Amino acid sequence: MKKENVMDAFTRGAKEGWDVGIYSMLPNVLMAFVLIEFLKLLGILAILGKVFAPVMIVFGLPGESIMVLVSSFLSMGGGVGVVTSLVTSGILNEHQVTILLPAIFLMGSLMQYMGRCLGTSGVQTRFYPVMFAICFINAIVAMFIMKIFS
Amino acid sequence: MDEQKTEQAEPNRISKVPIIGYIVLFLGIIFFSGIFTDVKGIEAAFDFNAINGAFGKIKEGGSFLGIDGTGAKNGFMFAITLVPPTMLSLGVVAVIEHLGGLRAAQRILTPLLQPLMGLPGVVGLALVSSTQSTDAGAGMTKMLREQNLITEEQRTVFVAFQFSAGAAIGNFLSTGIALFAFSTVPIIFPLCLIMVLKVVGANLMRLYIRKVVKLEEL
Repeated sequence: MKKENVMDAFTRGAKEGWDVGIYSMLPNVLMAFVLIEFLKLLGILAILGKVFAPVMIVFGLPGESIMVLVSSFLSMGGGVGVVTSLVTSGILNEHQVTILLPAIFLMGSLMQYMGRCLGTSGVQTRFYPVMFAICFINAIVAMFIMKIFS
Repeated sequence: MDEQKTEQAEPNRISKVPIIGYIVLFLGIIFFSGIFTDVKGIEAAFDFNAINGAFGKIKEGGSFLGIDGTGAKNGFMFAITLVPPTMLSLGVVAVIEHLGGLRAAQRILTPLLQPLMGLPGVVGLALVSSTQSTDAGAGMTKMLREQNLITEEQRTVFVAFQFSAGAAIGNFLSTGIALFAFSTVPIIFPLCLIMVLKVVGANLMRLYIRKVVKLEEL
């Protein structure tokens, strides 16, 4: 087999990037845009915005951004998609995106990773609730810190 | 000589890292850090956003995305704009890996594992892999425990590190790219914060095990 050179390595990574972009990010972003459009047309987004405003204001965020955290919990790609959709709708500004950025990952894809990380590594199931709690604490701390620096 | 013997005894020992490994790791960090964003001059050649470039404008003030798009169609067009940065990013990561940058990172991190999280150096490879792939990290952790190279407490603490922001660097440099353009701080800042909080999370688990769970129960 031919030894891989630097160019081969780059193209191998770029192909991987294509797969991630087309097969993972595109469906996730599209799903998020559809979800937000759906909630917006039903008027639910506005209600969520009002209901969660008092909580999210603590982090310098509008109430609607609760959708970012909920969808991040299901998938990081979904969380990122919801952010971009809320930006194009004029609900989030650049500072608010910056506040949310680390939190999306710190509590991201936990539903999937419960199997892929906790399950595969064979950690005892009685630690699962603490594992989840740590992720939420991390996300909350991150939003406070980013609020200061954004 | 003794040191060499100990190294050989460890199944996950780090092979020798060429100097180029450290150089590309350093350049890679600079490249993705965003510290040269908005800098005009030759530094721009080492900036992700500059190399990623821009789509041509179709009409004044707008890219091919157009203005005021909505719903699935707008989401689709937006997602298309994310493909080039993802390809560039993962291409560069593959080059860094190819030139030994990840092994250099492993070598730098290994002595820090004990003081930071109470983990032995043997988890170094699993740790570096876990920042790229959740599955690789988790699989290696299971193997380390089965071979009795880490204790049950260490496995639990190590998994707490991996679970929050799983595959942190890999995901941040692919999925996260969509948000780089909006960030008001250099993008290395949120990434560093993520890594620091992962370590904090592992220590929260350590504290929980020490205070709440009886060690002999493990």
